[in-house]
Amino acid sequence: MITVRSESFTYDDGVPLLSGVQLAVGAGEYVVVAGASGSGKTTLARLLAGLVGSDAGCRFRGSITLAGETVRFDGSPADPRIDRAAWSAAVAFVSQGAWGQLSMMSATVAEEIAFGPSNRGVPTEELRRSVHDVAASLRLTSLLGRDPRRLSGGQLQRTIIAAAVVQRPRVLVLDEPFHGLDEDSAAEVAAALDALRGAGTAVVVCDAMLPRSGPADARVLALAEGHPVFSGLLTEARWAGLRRYGIGTAGDPPGLPDGLGSRTGGLGSHPDDGEPTDHAGVRPQDSPTGAGAATPSPVVLTDVGFHHPTGAGESAPTSDTRSDSDTGPAGAGLSGITLTVRAGEIVAVRGPNGSGKTTLLQHLNGLHRADTGTVSVLGQQIRRQPTGTFAGDVGYLFQDTDQQLFERTVLREVAYGPLAAGVRRSEALRRAADALDVVGLGFVRELHPYELGFVQRRLVALASIIATGSTVWVLDEPTGGLDESARTGLARLLRRHARSGGAVVMATHDAAFATAVAHRTIWLDGGRLVPDDPGTDGRMDGRTVEAEPADRRRGLGWGHGRTAGEAQDSQDGRS
Amino acid sequence: MPRRRTLNPLTELLGAVLLVVLVLVVNRWEFSLAVLLLVVVPAVLVSGQPRRIGVAIVLVAGPLLLSSVLLHGLFFPEGRVVLLDLGPARVTQEGLVFAALMGLRMSVFTGVLLTTAMTLDLPDLIATMTHRGWNRKLVFIIGSALGLLPHVALRARQITRAQQARGLVVGRGPLSRLRALLMVTTPLVIGLLVDASERNHMLEARGFSSSGPRTSYLPDTDTAAQRTGRRVATVAVLLFAAAWLVIGAVA
Amino acid sequence: MSSPLTLPPEPAAQRSRSLLLVLGGALIVATYVFLVTVQPTEIAGGMGSAASLVSLVGFLGGGALLVGGILPMLTTSSLVVIPLGIALNIAIGQIAGSLGMQIYLDAIGTVLVAVLAGPAAGAATGALSNALWGLFNPFALPFAAGAALIGLLAGLAAKHGAFRRVYFAPVAGLVVGAIGGIVAAPVAVFMFGAAGTFGTNAIIAVFRSMGDKLLVAATKQGLLSDSLDKIVVFVVVALIVYALPQRAVRQFPFARTHRVLGERSGGRATTPAGADTAAR
Repeated sequence: MITVRSESFTYDDGVPLLSGVQLAVGAGEYVVVAGASGSGKTTLARLLAGLVGSDAGCRFRGSITLAGETVRFDGSPADPRIDRAAWSAAVAFVSQGAWGQLSMMSATVAEEIAFGPSNRGVPTEELRRSVHDVAASLRLTSLLGRDPRRLSGGQLQRTIIAAAVVQRPRVLVLDEPFHGLDEDSAAEVAAALDALRGAGTAVVVCDAMLPRSGPADARVLALAEGHPVFSGLLTEARWAGLRRYGIGTAGDPPGLPDGLGSRTGGLGSHPDDGEPTDHAGVRPQDSPTGAGAATPSPVVLTDVGFHHPTGAGESAPTSDTRSDSDTGPAGAGLSGITLTVRAGEIVAVRGPNGSGKTTLLQHLNGLHRADTGTVSVLGQQIRRQPTGTFAGDVGYLFQDTDQQLFERTVLREVAYGPLAAGVRRSEALRRAADALDVVGLGFVRELHPYELGFVQRRLVALASIIATGSTVWVLDEPTGGLDESARTGLARLLRRHARSGGAVVMATHDAAFATAVAHRTIWLDGGRLVPDDPGTDGRMDGRTVEAEPADRRRGLGWGHGRTAGEAQDSQDGRS
Repeated sequence: MPRRRTLNPLTELLGAVLLVVLVLVVNRWEFSLAVLLLVVVPAVLVSGQPRRIGVAIVLVAGPLLLSSVLLHGLFFPEGRVVLLDLGPARVTQEGLVFAALMGLRMSVFTGVLLTTAMTLDLPDLIATMTHRGWNRKLVFIIGSALGLLPHVALRARQITRAQQARGLVVGRGPLSRLRALLMVTTPLVIGLLVDASERNHMLEARGFSSSGPRTSYLPDTDTAAQRTGRRVATVAVLLFAAAWLVIGAVA
Repeated sequence: MSSPLTLPPEPAAQRSRSLLLVLGGALIVATYVFLVTVQPTEIAGGMGSAASLVSLVGFLGGGALLVGGILPMLTTSSLVVIPLGIALNIAIGQIAGSLGMQIYLDAIGTVLVAVLAGPAAGAATGALSNALWGLFNPFALPFAAGAALIGLLAGLAAKHGAFRRVYFAPVAGLVVGAIGGIVAAPVAVFMFGAAGTFGTNAIIAVFRSMGDKLLVAATKQGLLSDSLDKIVVFVVVALIVYALPQRAVRQFPFARTHRVLGERSGGRATTPAGADTAAR
């Protein structure tokens, strides 16, 4: 069907990527291209999509064969230019970043799906027929009249897939299609891919992690730093030791426990370091604050109630990065939230979409102000002070970290936090450099933040918080889109921060991560605290959080996993 | 409650523009007032959203009217009939008349265009442009810009919150404001450009560069009668304008 | 190269509609000359219906002809940034307007597009953003031609190096703003009797109290406010484009070939600050 043979691929003056990589995709196949951040998987995806020679500053040597025709590239300006319109009729591509793939001129999902064929002059009746066909196969029919800018993450991703495949291509290439999606949305998207494959479309998924489940004949090509490190069946890939290349399996706990203390010099000094993580609920800080009652708890919420102002619901922060964040159009407020986070404690906030997790988090640094009740941070009650004045005490990591980056080098970016908190410039730069070393990004100090990959950009935002020296860390979906090593590194940093007397509150869908890292988990539903996970079948039986089946995290439900339909059933079944 | 549509949005828009041209051509306060009272006010009332449109008109035109009255009412050196002498400022009859005439014209201008724009069915307008075979690049720019507007505004608000969470406190000084403006616009522009670069690839993959007419998913709400009507109305207004100006010059 | 999957090696020459461009430009210039030299019945007997009609039709029609001539020249990469330039203009302009500021800040998107994608794209952005803004604020409509001129001049300034150093930008902004202010004044006078925000009207009032004619006072005010406005806008745009990642700049052939941002538009930038940190 399509074969890419890459001898080398170079961005600017960078090191060659994809040397000696070959990937052939046959009709109806399912192929996972797995690799950590910077491994070259996105580059490979773009080659498959025929996006070569179109970005200035790239040199590709190799060939691509599509349907028997071979196009050869020598990395010279005389290289052939691919006709993307013709190419996409055979190979559809869904890249990262949803907004860039919407034309923004469609008022409804149906028009957006019809955008491609209508550019080619397909008559209106035929247009409507093919849109309805593809919508039916991807379960989008009920959404056809909706505004594509107001969809949940999973719905938006399926809309973009539908717009890409409405011409019935034989191959669909997706770059991190599950990025930023919670488990139900990921299951929806997985079911959509399943349906396409059932209709004979080959599917290539590029991802940072291996899927927990997949079709029996799924193949894996694993990349590390631009080289192929594994090629074979998915079932074999799990046991091939890919973790050493930073390729984990979705839903696994972060690789924290064993040997942590011995490997990481600075972190190993604390007694509880080697302690097994699965004692989560009872573990560290048996004597929470050394100073006893003298120091107040860093975060105290007393009977907090909050309503989104009417009308603001629509404009509330939800849309970007396909977040299914809680403040959507129907975003819940909060009522009767009482919560104390002690020094040295890591608290996970979990609950279904729209349960108020982000709303709760944004009360901790003044982005939202409680209507009733009180919020105190480090003993200071949040009243009418400007939000910016809390930044020194509370470090907030947004779900979409890119909204924060504005400086032209990584170092200046990280130094902004301490500068804004009133630290002298030289001291701020020193702290920034230290923080970058802590997150392992010391070597990219002078680069532009946007020249880094997504994972590293998120670590830059984390380094900002570290450099500012905030006591309370508030993190919204911190593991979303991270690769194995960054996820593990994050777990380590959180525990280190807690041991040094800090407090961490994080909203997360990542069950395995919460289980391994948090001391306790609070559950939200409809803006209220509930005793235990309300969103899942079999969760009201009082089992502990630790017993969470790991494969709930990403329901890549081929064959035996949960499909969107089943997810729907289980939701209907609760109540 | 949206009103029932009988006219295609393109017809509505052209009608509004021709009405404005007529007001400018005739240039009599009686005619402007008549249009305001007999066309604009009823149109706002039957629009189904009189409050929203009324507020918008007041917000847009109000400050202009007020500052216009202050400017011409107080400073009109050409004025001969002085009603009140305040030293450097003189309230003159001519100035007040000028301000009133200009104010009336601005009110009509705002009322007609804003009422039309705020009741316009934009998707239908874009679809009509496509069906009528307008340049696809122009239709894309218009449609995409209108679609991006709320998105840009929303993103700007989100970025402002994100920067506040990092310690941005907007002070009163111009430098502090400039700094805040940069802190918000820089990530905004970077994000939009990254999207645009991806959209560039998307447009090429979706065959946007192909020649030949585009089609639209939405049905064509335009009719042959309306097309003829638009042509006739345009020609009629142009002829009338020419005649009116010539007669005015001769007389 | 007869493959169905590849394009012919040379990009098909873009049709240029230079006739439309010349006509549009000529119409705008003629309109301006007519308004300023004939100064139809300034004030005395009402405001002269011909003057406002000529300014509306001349400037709008000229702008439309310009856009019609520019569109066929635009590549897809320029095309996709024009809507975002328009959206930025309107979004930031609305904020500045609602704050009652003396400057408009409604050309940041236009200048940004002009710097990245060239004078033609800049002119189209300016003209179309005022046309579209007219849907929300009809007073923006007649200034479409002036906005197109700003985009055109900003693009030319960028081409000749005005954005290679941050201190060139305000100079270019001063010149472009002065020209823009002179062009916009007759529109403001003949369409709206020079009504504007309280800030701009206060400046006109000062000149009027010294006995200036309305057109003269409005032109002087335009020279002052527009220059100040464009100085700020050009500096803001310069600081934004310097903060852009190279990858974002490189996607624009105009910015690349004319080295619009100096060494920032091509190879790796030398890092300006922070290299002297005390850290290891």
